[in-house]
Amino acid sequence: MDLLWQTAVNATYAASYMALIAVGLVMIFGVMGVINFAHGELYMVGAYCVVFLYAQENFPFLLAVAAGLVFVGIVGIVMERTMFRPLRDNPLGGLIASIGFLLILQTLVVFGFGRRMGHVPPSTHGKIEFFGAVLTYQRLFVIVAAILLLAALWAFLRRSKFGRALRACAQDTEAASLQGISMNQTARIAMFIGAGLAGVAGALTAPLVSPTPYIGHSIIVTAFIIIIVGGVGSLEGAVIAAVLYAFVHTFVTTFFDGVIANIVGLALMLSVLVVRPTGLFGARERA
Amino acid sequence: MPEPVGAMPATGTGGSIGRIAWRLRPVFLFAALAALPYLLSYSQQEIAVLLVINVLLVSSYRLLTLTGEWSLGHVVIMGVGAYASALLAKQAGVPVPLSMLLGGCMAAAVAALLSFPLFRMKGFYFLIGSFAAGEIIRLIWKRFTDPFGGPKGLKRIEPFPDIETGFLSIDFYEPVNYYFLALVVVSASLFVLYRIERSRIGLTFHAIHWQDRLAESVGVDTFRYRTLAFVIASFFAGIAGGLYAHYIGAVNPTRFSVDQMVYVLVWAIVGGTATFHGPILGVVVLTVINEIVLRALGLDTARPLIYGAILILSVLYLPNGLESLGPRLRALWQRRRGGSAAAGSEPA
Amino acid sequence: MSVHGERPILEARGLTRRFGGLVAVDNFSFSVHEGAIHGLIGPNGAGKTTTFNVISGFYAPTAGRVFFRGLDISGRKTSALAAMGLVRTFQGSTLFQEFSVLDNVRVGRHLGARAGFLSRLIGTDRLSEREADAKARETLAFFELEELAGEPVSNLPHGHQRMLGMAVALAAEPKVLLLDEPFTGMNPEETRRMMALVRRIRDRGVTVMLVEHDMQAVMNLCDTITVMNFGALLVEGAPEAVRNDPAVIEAYLGSATGNGAGDAA
Repeated sequence: MDLLWQTAVNATYAASYMALIAVGLVMIFGVMGVINFAHGELYMVGAYCVVFLYAQENFPFLLAVAAGLVFVGIVGIVMERTMFRPLRDNPLGGLIASIGFLLILQTLVVFGFGRRMGHVPPSTHGKIEFFGAVLTYQRLFVIVAAILLLAALWAFLRRSKFGRALRACAQDTEAASLQGISMNQTARIAMFIGAGLAGVAGALTAPLVSPTPYIGHSIIVTAFIIIIVGGVGSLEGAVIAAVLYAFVHTFVTTFFDGVIANIVGLALMLSVLVVRPTGLFGARERA
Repeated sequence: MPEPVGAMPATGTGGSIGRIAWRLRPVFLFAALAALPYLLSYSQQEIAVLLVINVLLVSSYRLLTLTGEWSLGHVVIMGVGAYASALLAKQAGVPVPLSMLLGGCMAAAVAALLSFPLFRMKGFYFLIGSFAAGEIIRLIWKRFTDPFGGPKGLKRIEPFPDIETGFLSIDFYEPVNYYFLALVVVSASLFVLYRIERSRIGLTFHAIHWQDRLAESVGVDTFRYRTLAFVIASFFAGIAGGLYAHYIGAVNPTRFSVDQMVYVLVWAIVGGTATFHGPILGVVVLTVINEIVLRALGLDTARPLIYGAILILSVLYLPNGLESLGPRLRALWQRRRGGSAAAGSEPA
Repeated sequence: MSVHGERPILEARGLTRRFGGLVAVDNFSFSVHEGAIHGLIGPNGAGKTTTFNVISGFYAPTAGRVFFRGLDISGRKTSALAAMGLVRTFQGSTLFQEFSVLDNVRVGRHLGARAGFLSRLIGTDRLSEREADAKARETLAFFELEELAGEPVSNLPHGHQRMLGMAVALAAEPKVLLLDEPFTGMNPEETRRMMALVRRIRDRGVTVMLVEHDMQAVMNLCDTITVMNFGALLVEGAPEAVRNDPAVIEAYLGSATGNGAGDAA
């Protein structure tokens, strides 16, 4: 019973950072129609922001996390300007260009920090215990940050002019531009937010995962599973699917092993693709 | 185009010599390929072997792309051939040339099985689906130490048997000899791939790519033909895998990861997939750049970065690949030459 | 029933197709007789195109059945239907734009040019391919397109592309040819030529069913007309009877936007 409860707590933590990553990926897809294969590397770069600023240069942890968000967001803007904008009519081209970008980011980090794991000391040592389950402050911090960030994003998309523009672009690019919505401006903001969310997820979890330049691979696999299960254009679907997948993955990892958990996740994604390509929570069949 | 009268005879003879040379293209090509290993150092010979194997890998990949679907699982399929051939030789004692053939068949069988879920998808979904299917296979190799050897993979795989007859003795441990073996196998495979593309089957693949609904309306079973393309492509990828496994002598799950798939994509896209020779051009040019230029400059660690940059630049500025560069340059050259067309045949 | 008397070659009974909550085709029945030119008309959004897509196997019916030469074909694959002799065309210039004119029709010969995998590989399919080529050229000649055989499709004017679309379908040697809006976007002269072609196709023994907005063309061309409205059968009968039927006039006037100029249903 204790183990079950503890596993559920662990799964909640996993769901938090997975949701940040997946929501960012969906956001980029929603506006630009491009699947960003370099999304895992954006997470990795966020983590290395913390390795550099917090672990090596001793800046405060929170500052390093904020820097991770902004820096990776800017990397996202660079991607938009140099690759996704010129390839707007060529979604497959955009995907392939993002694979090229992934290699560049990986190599640059190897140049800067080497191939080995970056060690990040924990920023706090406290933990809370409830009903026998242990939750370190470090992990609690990720959960709280994810909830705050996603709530802020939700409010922002609901209330702001940009939110409307974003939804318009996601539905119909042409109609949106007729309404005087600037596609470039909307894409830039979406890319900043989408990439920034991946970056902040990497920054927040850096003390917990010991990042390597190649960590992006497992992250992108996870993100793909979540967005396919959740339905490729749906932000809410991504959050729900992140929670679902985090629980499945964490429980299978605890009671079997990590590789089996990955196989189960991929098989889940494959069956969703076969049975219901619009995702479990995506739009229904259209005429 | 009107030409000066005086230039006519020269053009005539120049043309006929040129034509004979053009006819003899395959002979020149084979002569060059036969001479190649003797011009290379030992380590370069080893690279040449891998290059020949990669030519088959990327050419088989192109056959799949003819139907319009891009897979991210092709390297894993190559791995299926490699693992199957290695295991058959190691554990069942199947003689190596036969095990390679069976490895190709195994890869084809896995593709046939995978086509049931995968060809219910198209485009982006197929891409992601093939990625997921490939990762599952790779994780199975990783997880099940018996028989796949786990993360460390299989080692001491039986080499290709030496040929020992009275007057002929070939040791395939020598890269030069393995190069010729691979060259023969790959040439035969390329010939088959070429024939398939030039036949009605190839026409049907193209038709499915451009208008699958129209093709269906005149009786083309698109599912069957997509499966056929996938199975044939996978068979030859499996053969490439067998050639690889028995040359290197070891295989592991990391060797067939998506990072390796990226290289296949780069070769295909940089070369261009519209023609048969495009991807071959891509893999040859990039391998030469990689091995000669980068190695000479000591930029080995920068390799992924440079590959990444080349990939982005070619998607942005050379969307039809290197193969389109020839006609483009020729057009440019002719435009600059202007009206003096007769000068074009002077070198003869 | 009609002048043709025999059993219908193509028949729908109680055909229904829903998309989510929307009922596009609602308990719709019709029958097409062998050797006829049969029109399917109706105001915009009446469900004509959906009906076509169900008959030709792109969608499975939600309920009801389609019979072809007495066989229940509901839900069968498009390619299987083509093999049985039921072939459709598409609106506009849906063609293999990257191919030559001849290669388009050669793909149309897919079913006629059978050969095994090995014989394709070693080239012993040459005989059947030569035959397919000859058939393809013959089909092009029927449409007076033979001189354009080597041209890339993208060079063809719009009217020629429409004819090529029919040539591709005819090359598959259908027993029933389903034409999807063959006259839309044509000027009167082109329409007249197209009508003559449709008659000649019928005279070759091919039963024709067509979906069309252009009332005038349909009235002059068809032996029997089925009118649908709101996904259901309104009237079926000879052109004269249909033209004067108050329900039809009501439906077309009621839809107000008029026909002819309407876009795809």
